[in-house]
Amino acid sequence: MRREAGDDLTGRDDEVPRPGTSDPAFSALLEDSAEDLYEHAPCGYLSTLMDGTIAKINTTLLGWLGHHRDDLVGRRRFVDLLTVGGRIYHETHIAPMLGMHGAIGGLALELRRADGSRLPVMVTSVVKTGPDGTAQLVRTTIFDARDRRAYERELLRARQEADRDRERVQKLATTLQRTLLPPRLSTVPGMDVAAYYHPASADEVGGDFYDLFPLAGGTWGFFLGDVSGKGAPAAAITSLTRYTLRAAAASDPDPITVLRVLNTVLHHEYNGTDPRFCTVLYGVLTPTADGCAIEMATGGHPPAALLRADGGAEFVDIPGGQLVGALPDAHFAGTRVRMSPGDTIMLYTDGLTEARTRGRVRHNEEELLEFLATVGPTTATGAVAAVTGLLRRFGEGVDDDTALLALSLPVGTARP
Amino acid sequence: MTDHLTVTTRPITGGTVLEFAGRLDAVTSPGALRTIGGLALHRGQRLVLDLTRLDFCDSSGISVLITARSTALAAEAALALVAVPRGLRGMLARTGLDAVFPIYPTLARLEESWVPRP
Repeated sequence: MRREAGDDLTGRDDEVPRPGTSDPAFSALLEDSAEDLYEHAPCGYLSTLMDGTIAKINTTLLGWLGHHRDDLVGRRRFVDLLTVGGRIYHETHIAPMLGMHGAIGGLALELRRADGSRLPVMVTSVVKTGPDGTAQLVRTTIFDARDRRAYERELLRARQEADRDRERVQKLATTLQRTLLPPRLSTVPGMDVAAYYHPASADEVGGDFYDLFPLAGGTWGFFLGDVSGKGAPAAAITSLTRYTLRAAAASDPDPITVLRVLNTVLHHEYNGTDPRFCTVLYGVLTPTADGCAIEMATGGHPPAALLRADGGAEFVDIPGGQLVGALPDAHFAGTRVRMSPGDTIMLYTDGLTEARTRGRVRHNEEELLEFLATVGPTTATGAVAAVTGLLRRFGEGVDDDTALLALSLPVGTARP
Repeated sequence: MTDHLTVTTRPITGGTVLEFAGRLDAVTSPGALRTIGGLALHRGQRLVLDLTRLDFCDSSGISVLITARSTALAAEAALALVAVPRGLRGMLARTGLDAVFPIYPTLARLEESWVPRP
């Protein structure tokens, strides 16, 4: 069906009122014909019959599409200009909405151009009705959305890049965290050893640390601690602390001496208006004929828990040890512990330098001991599994890093 | 519970009282440290930290207390803590800091024991 373009969409020049004015610019504006405005408007105009046949199309849109007027008017339907996805969208959404409401706007579509390329557009359509209320044609306004799509693509690209950056940073933080923790604990002959580390958040490098390593003469050094603060500054102290403890232990493994060395190093490094410090338990384990002996010192750290072979649980209280690095002449305290087969010792951090001074404390040391008393007798592996289970039950309540280190002498592992 | 910290400074005989109200944590510590850094302490004076209305104190807060002590010592002044909340008291005891901070239950008790230096 071929049909000449109607004049529905063109106004008449001679109907435009011409107020008397001597402003040449205003006069020029009035000379602008509605026909010219229609044809060369900065947007595309399209009129279609109710069956979709293109009845009228302006020069701007023809230019965008690269078609001749005669190729389209009376020959093609609006949907022929759409991509496959656009046609489906037209059938399922646009046509029904037009039928129901007589108008639809803000549609993001792609038009197929004569050369096969695609033109992203924003489309608004209105149904024109005759005097008797019957739908006569659909008037469609089409805006070039290339700038907008480019902007959206740019937004998307920027967002994807930000996502990649965030992943990279998280990966770096996790990797750094791993370097701050021992990749794998040393195997101590005749002992069960277990450890656990839970960072409070994926993108923050935490300040908990632990290690277990061989010393001269068949003895073993171990430590577990928590540095003040969070993030990169805490990570720097954690690193310094770990290597200082290892180096000091190699030179003189006496626990109090090791903590004094660490105190001196940290205090020199962070003296001034920004004190940095840590709490740490450091111990030396010496295998004996009937078990092992542990010499241990504390720098303001929560006491280690001893789970005895008979099921009892007790803290290894070491009164008087001050935190490490904050005071130039800090005092450290030590003690000796004997372990027999079936005994387990557990070192832990639990948001220890975080304390709610009012309101409910998440769980205090007494509650932890009560819990551990229900766990023993056990092994290092069993104790760590039990406490991590407890932590999981706290779930969202755990807002600080948590580290655990446990050593046990399994029953029936008497040494030769 | 507030999410911020208010530090009120007021003079007392022979020194200054800093009253901490709210949370002393990683967010609020820098401001508290600036206040302490801006104090004009003189030899023989006393710096009193009133913690009656302190709701929360973490390791950053401990840093603030330690810095206050260092600042006072550097000026040859004295530092005292007043009304230390129970949880913080426990943390100071465990970290051995109760040995380096003179602690008083109330400002009145502090005043009773205050002997101005000649």
